[in-house]
Formats: sequence, structure tokens, C-alpha cells
Amino acid sequence: MFLIGFLYLASQSVKKIIEINPYMLGTMAGGAADCQFWHRNLGIKCRLHELANKRRISVSGASKLLANMLYSYRGMGLSVGTMIAGWDETGPGLYYVDNEGGRLKGDRFSVGSGSPYAYGVLDSGYKFDMSVEEASELARRSIYHATFRDGASGGVASVYHVGPNGWTKLSGDDVGELHYHYYPVPPAIAEQVMEEAAAE
Amino acid sequence: LQIFEYNGSAVVAMVGKNCFAIASDRRLGVQLQTIATDFQRISKIHDRVFIALSGLATDVQTLYQRLVFRHKLYQLREERDMKPETFASLVSAILYEKRFGPYLCQPVIAGLGEDDKPFICTMDSIGAKELAKDFVVSGTASESLYGACEAMYKPDMEAEELFETISQALLSSVDRDCLSGWGGHVYVVTPTEIKERILKGRMD
Repeated sequence: MFLIGFLYLASQSVKKIIEINPYMLGTMAGGAADCQFWHRNLGIKCRLHELANKRRISVSGASKLLANMLYSYRGMGLSVGTMIAGWDETGPGLYYVDNEGGRLKGDRFSVGSGSPYAYGVLDSGYKFDMSVEEASELARRSIYHATFRDGASGGVASVYHVGPNGWTKLSGDDVGELHYHYYPVPPAIAEQVMEEAAAE
Repeated sequence: LQIFEYNGSAVVAMVGKNCFAIASDRRLGVQLQTIATDFQRISKIHDRVFIALSGLATDVQTLYQRLVFRHKLYQLREERDMKPETFASLVSAILYEKRFGPYLCQPVIAGLGEDDKPFICTMDSIGAKELAKDFVVSGTASESLYGACEAMYKPDMEAEELFETISQALLSSVDRDCLSGWGGHVYVVTPTEIKERILKGRMD
């Protein structure tokens, strides 16, 4: 995860998946401060809803709260590109919300400067009825490919799973190591010849 | 649009005991998008003089071609290779010829002179030569490189130790710059041999 102040790399270990509550996650793209603040603010509003209504808020409701809040700040320079993922009575929910107040429901999204590269891998491998392992590997690969091509993406690829009992973190792999895991450097010719000679 | 940051680059040269090392990153990008991870920034002029160019990639390639041409002409006329100091002056003159429409690159020149004494220098895009006794840096990651080299450099290092030092300085600096990295390319040159190595770096 890169955090950039202009073109300088401030950190490789920023948490870009924000835990709103135990069954809802938000992703961070755009301005870090904006995303962190408004996600925490959303968490507060969700908790107030639970206390007022004696039941958990739906993903649809939570994403609408965030979208409406961001819409009221439209034109003031907030930079937020986020996805709200959660589980409620109607099942799993995924919404894309941005600083213009846009809100979209969907099965898959990719957000941020590296998103075109991630979409390429994501769209070609996605099936609605994938297993959790297949989906998490697809997500990891999509993020890895985005970090390879996009200068402003990199660091750690975190994968979370959101289920009926809430979210769990599945993996957090350094993309530098993922590269050599997916594309190992073949041993040089000289080394191969020496191995063969030793085997004889 | 910052033209020196359009393609991204990182170049460093260091002096050792009767040897020198010159290293660069391998990324070619168009602003944030990475296009290639095997771009050649370091070029050999002859066995004892190397030049690495940072900055706009098209000018890196064109300037290299013009310099090779001028050196070949020199070889035909003088029947010998150019000394590194002479080559540096040639580069400086060629860059200043385009004073009001410059080549958008910053060269780093490294070579072994008379008595195998290592020579390094860098230049800005209009030919201002800057000689150094220890190390020179250039490119979008230059500030990080200055810090890393200053901390890691020791005088009179042998070839192997020099290779380790320059590699670590390069890799740690490009990891702080979005526009350079994606591997490293290092040449360590002693009076008897030229060792070329590719570094495995972070590919993000």
C-alpha cells in the first residue's frame, strides 16, 4: 500500500482496508485523511443507528449514509473513492461510493489509480459462483498486477473475506515477494549446466 | 507536466579503489503507468568509459546515439579511445550547443583514466559539469540517492564491496520513489574486467 505525498513514497504499510464494524469493511483510495475520517464517522453513525433501532444497519443504508454525507461536501475538494462491503439480512452487499456523491451497487469493483490494471485481471477471471479460495486468489492477483503496472500502487496486498458472521483477514502479502512467486526468475544457463553436470 | 519526471529514472556512480561502479534502475514509464522493466540507461562508450543518462527517455536514446557517433569519429581520427575527462568535456559541449532547446537528460559519466584512476562526473541538462571524488547521482530518485550514498559510502572500496554498496544504495532509494525501480542494472569496472549484473528489486 503506497501513500504518496506528490511522488515521494511516505509509507509501504498503510492500512487501506478500514474496519467500520465487525461485519462491514471500507476500502481507501484517494485522500488518506478523508477516507480515514469519513469511514470512522460512518462507523459512528452505524452504531447510533443500532442503538436507536435495536438492529444492525444494512449495507445499503450504511453506504447511503456515506454517499449523502459526501454529496453535501461536493465541490469542496474531498477525495474519496471507496467500496463498502458487508453482510446484512439480505446477504452480502457491495457498494461503490465516491466523493462526488456517486453510489453504485455491484458484484465487483476496482477503485484507485491502479484500477484499470486490476479490472483487466478481475473481469477475465470472475465468476459469480467462485469459491472463497478462488476469489481471494483472483483478488490478490488483480492487486498484484495493478501494483506492477501503476507507479502509485504497491506495498502489501491485503485480502479480507466478509461472511455471515463478519469479516476475517485472509492474507497480507508483500507484492515484492508476490512478483517472484508468480514469475520466478529462472536459474541462469550456467547454473543449469552445473546442476546437470553434478547430476551425472 | 514535469518533463524530467515523465519517464522516471535513477542513476548513480561510485568510485572505489582503482575501480568504479555505475548503476541505474530499469523502469520505463509514462507518468504513473509502467511500460517496460528492461530499459537500458547505462551505455558503454568504450571498455573504460561508461555513460548513464537519466531524464526523458527519447533524449536518453538519441543523445547516446550521437555520443557513440562522435566517439567513433574520434577513434578513427586519433586511433585511440577517449579519456574519460575528454569525453565529459565532449558531452558538456554537445549539451550546451542546445542551450535554448536542450536535451532533457542529466548524464552521469564514469571511467578509468590514466594509471587506472577512476573518474566520475555528472552534468545538468545544459552541460554544467560537476566532478566528484566519491559518488554522483541523477534522476527522479536523486534526493533519496544522495542520502543513501552519503550514509553507505566509504573511500577505497574493492570491487565486490563497491558492488554491494552501490546496489543497496540504489535499491533502497528507488523504493522511496514511485517513478523508478522495477529492478536494477549495475556495472562494476576494474582495469581487467567489466562485470554486469542485474538486481532483483521490488516490482511495484
